Amino acid sequence: MERLSKDFLVYTPQFINERDYDYSLFKEGFIFNPYRLISSPRQFFTASSSLVVGYFDSKIPRREIKPFAIVGLKSCDLYSLKIQDYVFLEGDFVDEEYKKKRETSLIISSDCTSFKDVCFCLNLEIKPYPQEGFDFNLSDIDRGFLVEIGSEKAKRIWEDNKDLFEERKDLQARREEKRKKIIEDLEKHLSSLGLVPQEKLYQLVKNNHANPLWQDTALSCVECGACIMNCPTCHCFLLSDEERKGEYFRGRIWDGCQYKNFARVAGGANPLKLRAQRLRNRYIKKFEFFKERIDLYACTGCGRCIDSCIAKIDLREIFKALNA
Amino acid sequence: MPKMNSIYTPKQAVITKIIEETPTIKTLVLKPEEEFSFSTGQFIELTYPGKGEAPFTPSSDPNKKEEFEVTIMKVGRITALFHQAKVGQILGLRGPLGKGYPLDSFVGKELLIVGGGVGLAPLRSLIYALFSRIEDFKKIIICYGAKTPQDIVYKYQIEEFKKPENVELRLTVDKADQNWQGNVGVVTTLLDNLPLNSSQAVSVVCGPPIMMKFTTWKLLESGFLEENIYLSMEKNMSCGLGKCGHCRLGRFYVCKDGPVFKYSEIKDIEDIWD
Repeated sequence: MERLSKDFLVYTPQFINERDYDYSLFKEGFIFNPYRLISSPRQFFTASSSLVVGYFDSKIPRREIKPFAIVGLKSCDLYSLKIQDYVFLEGDFVDEEYKKKRETSLIISSDCTSFKDVCFCLNLEIKPYPQEGFDFNLSDIDRGFLVEIGSEKAKRIWEDNKDLFEERKDLQARREEKRKKIIEDLEKHLSSLGLVPQEKLYQLVKNNHANPLWQDTALSCVECGACIMNCPTCHCFLLSDEERKGEYFRGRIWDGCQYKNFARVAGGANPLKLRAQRLRNRYIKKFEFFKERIDLYACTGCGRCIDSCIAKIDLREIFKALNA
Repeated sequence: MPKMNSIYTPKQAVITKIIEETPTIKTLVLKPEEEFSFSTGQFIELTYPGKGEAPFTPSSDPNKKEEFEVTIMKVGRITALFHQAKVGQILGLRGPLGKGYPLDSFVGKELLIVGGGVGLAPLRSLIYALFSRIEDFKKIIICYGAKTPQDIVYKYQIEEFKKPENVELRLTVDKADQNWQGNVGVVTTLLDNLPLNSSQAVSVVCGPPIMMKFTTWKLLESGFLEENIYLSMEKNMSCGLGKCGHCRLGRFYVCKDGPVFKYSEIKDIEDIWD
């Protein structure tokens, strides 16, 4: 981490309370997070509130994007980047800032060695250990890490720092054992919850737009927006213009479909004026829209929306009710 | 200092003329600093510097390259600012965005154009585009409805729309004044006895959601096919690039996949008229 700090802003997991971890700029020491952090990696690639451009004769300099390394992403987080990549990189319009951050950053993921009660990645057929989308992956074995190199960028870093590594092919079997164990434990936990199989989720949403469940569930929603702000696949934002000392600039602020004015147009019409419509919208977007567009659910099973909901709205319970 | 440019950066466009259409609607004539062209039906994001952006479909002839026009009804914060703008003022421009009207697929057909209120703005651009190759179309019927005679946009030129011999113009107002000699009633009252073969004809509709809803129903009742009804969907197009998420309509983003849709593409999506 110290060596990486020379070339990157390094963010590593830190305790924030007795059971949760979050990113913090690396200073010293290293804590391994056994499960996903509180924050999703989304904040690193599109900050919740940031200057995007200055325009016209703006003299606001382009901010240099300093390469960063983020440590402690889990398999669910890596999956979420596939969704974000689709939004910001695919099609006719490429978000250059996002692209640059994706290209210059270093992603150091790690296997889950435990899970939170709200975790249900396996239910969505996402394994609790990374298989793709990382530069380095760490598997916690015998007070050390078995490191897997996942990119050319990582290979170059490894070559420059070979003194820190030792070839231990013999530990691969240990890694597989540990991976098997976490799968078994998680499967046991999830089967006790009686979750709906992932292949049914698309049709369950599609066939239930008129289900009174949306209204019943939305009654307890307080519209705090925690689910959208903590979700790793949420990507919605609004552009906000400002003038300062005669210079114009445009910022980007995270927005989300659970807020009342999200879909409102200037004339006053609002296709998402009811909380029930907005709650349903979230499920349509994640389980219908993305499934139809790119054949992926925009849900990683990380459970952050469940963890953060003060009304205790639980996505897993919604699907169980729709399936009943 | 390198100039920042991204998909979110507006280019400059100067206001060269302002036309007062009605007490609540103005047309701004804009001259972009850089070359700009659009296909009829595509939209732009217009920036009031330092205050914000809003989407508009140009109302001018897409064949005119030097300047273009947007017709703006005062309905909210940003549109009110555009109404206060003066000639010579510089606004921001992003676009063109979205997909326009598929003109080539209209060739050889009878066309029905139905507009309501400020919804005539994109349709005027379409009418210009059609008129520039008028011989390609069998017949064009333009039906337009406004609240009162005072609320009719483009009063100074609307009569010109019926000049070509294969074009028929029908006007109506919801509420007449003492000088109004024409039809009184909502725009759907113009859609009876249309001299065209409705099962073959194409219709293009733009106006407030409620007007589009009743027009679509009337057209279906008159025998128009679902795939021959083109609608301009009004949603909260914010980034215009299919990224910000606001304008999702079923499996579409209105900004990227529209704003013009065939009724057949969107008819099964709930709340399309809201």
